[in-house]
Amino acid sequence: MTVISWIVVVICLLVIMAWYLSYSAARLDRLHAKVEGALSALDAHVVRRAEAGLELANSGAIDPASGFLLAAAASESLERVNERTFESDLLEGQHFAGRETVESELTEVLHAALPPEVSGDIEAKGGVGAAALERVREAGLRVQLARRFHNEAVKEVQRVRAKRVVRLFRLAGYADLPQTVEFDDAQIGS
Amino acid sequence: MKIGLVSPYSFDVPGGVQFHIRDLAEYLIRNGHEASVLAPADEGTDLPPYVVPAGRAVPIRYNGSTARLLFGPVAAAKVGRWLDEGDFDVIHIHEPLAPSLSLLALWAATSPVVTTFHTSNVRSRVMQATYPLLRPSLEKIRGRIAVSEDARRTVTTHIGGDAVVIPNGVDTAAFARATGDPRWVGGPGSPTIVFLGRIDEPRKGLPVLAAAMPAILDAVPGARLLVVGPGGTEAARAKLPERVRAATEFLGALSDEDKASALASADLYIAPHTGGESFGIVLVEAMAAGAPVLASDLAAFQRVLDGGRAGMSGALFANGRSEDLSARAVELLRDPARLQVLSDLGRQRAQTFDWQVVAKEILAVYDTVADAGSHHREVTRLRPGLERRTGGGPA
Repeated sequence: MTVISWIVVVICLLVIMAWYLSYSAARLDRLHAKVEGALSALDAHVVRRAEAGLELANSGAIDPASGFLLAAAASESLERVNERTFESDLLEGQHFAGRETVESELTEVLHAALPPEVSGDIEAKGGVGAAALERVREAGLRVQLARRFHNEAVKEVQRVRAKRVVRLFRLAGYADLPQTVEFDDAQIGS
Repeated sequence: MKIGLVSPYSFDVPGGVQFHIRDLAEYLIRNGHEASVLAPADEGTDLPPYVVPAGRAVPIRYNGSTARLLFGPVAAAKVGRWLDEGDFDVIHIHEPLAPSLSLLALWAATSPVVTTFHTSNVRSRVMQATYPLLRPSLEKIRGRIAVSEDARRTVTTHIGGDAVVIPNGVDTAAFARATGDPRWVGGPGSPTIVFLGRIDEPRKGLPVLAAAMPAILDAVPGARLLVVGPGGTEAARAKLPERVRAATEFLGALSDEDKASALASADLYIAPHTGGESFGIVLVEAMAAGAPVLASDLAAFQRVLDGGRAGMSGALFANGRSEDLSARAVELLRDPARLQVLSDLGRQRAQTFDWQVVAKEILAVYDTVADAGSHHREVTRLRPGLERRTGGGPA
């Protein structure tokens, strides 16, 4: 083989490699964007759940002690949202900022304050309380879905980033490895 | 919300997936959303106003039965136009791996995508062979729904990842309203047995039931069998023994109202399906109409019938075994009290699958992915793009 053909072969290989790397980087970028979107959805629904919880606590449909507990847990959850700062966060919040415990607690309180006989009672009475309870349920379902979809997206990113090529060529740039969000989001019974 | 629904199967022929899409679209429209359904359909077919026909489907062997699918460049262009014109908030693609409009829509979609997996028999070798081609499309899916635990298991083993289970919806009220038709209602000593499903599709199990009929007629001489469903009746009739032929009526394909009233007339509904069912919507319809159910013990059927604390709302027999089917059927036909209990439990159980319940959950999925997808639009690319996507992504 002549020198020229060797050069051509090498150039072809380099082009193929560049294509592959650029393709992988674009794919990873898309997957990261998906995680980001899923996390913002989860955030939105977590906030809606807490707001609905607070509304229910103040609706007078449940007893004051349960209402107090529920209001405390819900406002704790809302406070954590407001505290979150994005300025120092290069990833624009590709993590849940340790809110898992707060959300698990809210779930626990919702279960304790709304056993089936109480929620059945509220529904039977109707009015503001029933509407708020319905909103808590709707938001709770959406939190479950959003968390699962988010974790799915995270696992996809993790699978791709575990690849040797991706690590060797640092295709993920400076992006942190996204983590799944784990908390208790069991839906209250009807 | 603007929702685009994609059906891989032709609306000319009835089928579980098509009915699901039709009912979902109608529910969405009734509740103030905009819905458009893209489906294969022959020219000149009578279609509901919300269905956009994408062209004529081609009958082709796929996944163990004959499916009418639509593919090719013309279909792909049609999908692209529909997506552009619809400008949907969410695109809901059914059977995303069916090599038809679904796959084309998944490929071309730029809005958030929700997919529903209906069947439980994806072949893993096919998946392995086509995975590199499908991967960029599959990664676009933001929310996956499976209609049953079996369908979900298919997703986890063959595609990877998970899916939320939301069962198929049934308009249980329409079936609960149905009353028995005097032509079909049986009397003491002459109970009516109903079979529903395509006659020439062996997986629907008519041969199993036909083989069990002589023994049932021996024990209950007055029993009558109503066979409801499309297919060549002459050939099926010719295969039956003389005595069974005399006791069997082929009603052909019936309208929804007539189907419901046939079920309401049934003293016993038998579902002898031998496989390929991932959900078993027919069982829910039968239960809603108050028909006592005797079904083969497919895992999917067991889950539909199992009401947890309320107990089993139907009886089971060993799949494919005609002698077990006839023994169970005779046992039930001789015990009217037990049939009444099954009928009552069935009506209760069917409520769980009502559209009102199911559609709310599907809407929740739409909300979730629409929230997640509002920032950017994504495109499937075979080649790496030179320009970086703009907007909030990581460096």
